[in-house]
Amino acid sequence: MLHRRSNGDMLKTNQQIVTGKKSESIRFLYDKYAGMLLGYVVEITKDRATAEKFLVNFFCDLPGQLGERNCEGLDNWCQLQRYARERLDIFMNSKHEAEAVRPTNLMMHGARDKYLDQLSEEQRQVFCDVYYYRKSIEVISSELKKTEDSIRKTLKEAFAIMRKSGEN
Amino acid sequence: MKINEYIESGILEAYVLGSASKAEAEELLYMKAKHPEVLEALLELELDIEHIAQGMAIIPPVGTWEKIEAGINEVIKAKDSGALTLDMPFEDRGSRTKSRKGSQFIEVEAESGHMRIRKIWRWIFVGVFLLGKIFLACAIYFYLENRHNEQELEQLKYELKIQSPR
Repeated sequence: MLHRRSNGDMLKTNQQIVTGKKSESIRFLYDKYAGMLLGYVVEITKDRATAEKFLVNFFCDLPGQLGERNCEGLDNWCQLQRYARERLDIFMNSKHEAEAVRPTNLMMHGARDKYLDQLSEEQRQVFCDVYYYRKSIEVISSELKKTEDSIRKTLKEAFAIMRKSGEN
Repeated sequence: MKINEYIESGILEAYVLGSASKAEAEELLYMKAKHPEVLEALLELELDIEHIAQGMAIIPPVGTWEKIEAGINEVIKAKDSGALTLDMPFEDRGSRTKSRKGSQFIEVEAESGHMRIRKIWRWIFVGVFLLGKIFLACAIYFYLENRHNEQELEQLKYELKIQSPR
């Protein structure tokens, strides 16, 4: 009996260590990326309250996700952003959220404008379609009736301009 | 195609943002493995995107982490009790603590507090109860029918006995 209990305690301790590590990892990810993620999600949802709700939901579900994924697999903004976009699609597709979200298309914030104002209309559209709405180059090229190469060039130019804006 | 041309084509940007086609992604992985310049450009680009995202960041409101921490603790607690459905959204989990309606479990009173079982058992219990009632009704019916038949048989035997001496 004593033996069983000590084994149980040992397992519990190990679980607590794993949980503790996960909790630390999530805190680390939160400190590093929560603001970036909120800025990103606000732009997609056009609704600050929904974006904040998603942020809480996303980080709360991470312990389960970290069990399946390697934590280091999310230790990079591009990967975290891609994963968050997948989760956001599920979140937004849920009936409850579909009813709650009323996009206004008027949601803008200064930081975003600082970057996007530097771009031409076409560059802004290509960047937003790729970064926020995850449209493929093929889809954008057919929508804008331009070649895929020219869309990729436009995307590259948009990045170069935004990079410069960030440096200034 | 020269490496510089490849890097300048914009394919790296499309790949990092997840907009590259499967063929492009495969090509890029090959190029990345073969040419360190491509790998370097890719890492640099990831950092640039991170800097841009930092510039567009919005500071979460005060108390957001506390909400997340409370949610994580709830997940851990539920995991310890062994009755967790991880696929349930956090908000649902929060409302479940306030109102048990609509959750996947129904509560059954036990000697020591509560126990949670799957809702499907409610229908199984109802089915077993109804079957029990049907069997009981059948048993009573056949018992009465049998008693009635026995009485008739006794009656016939009696009548035969009376008629036989004649």
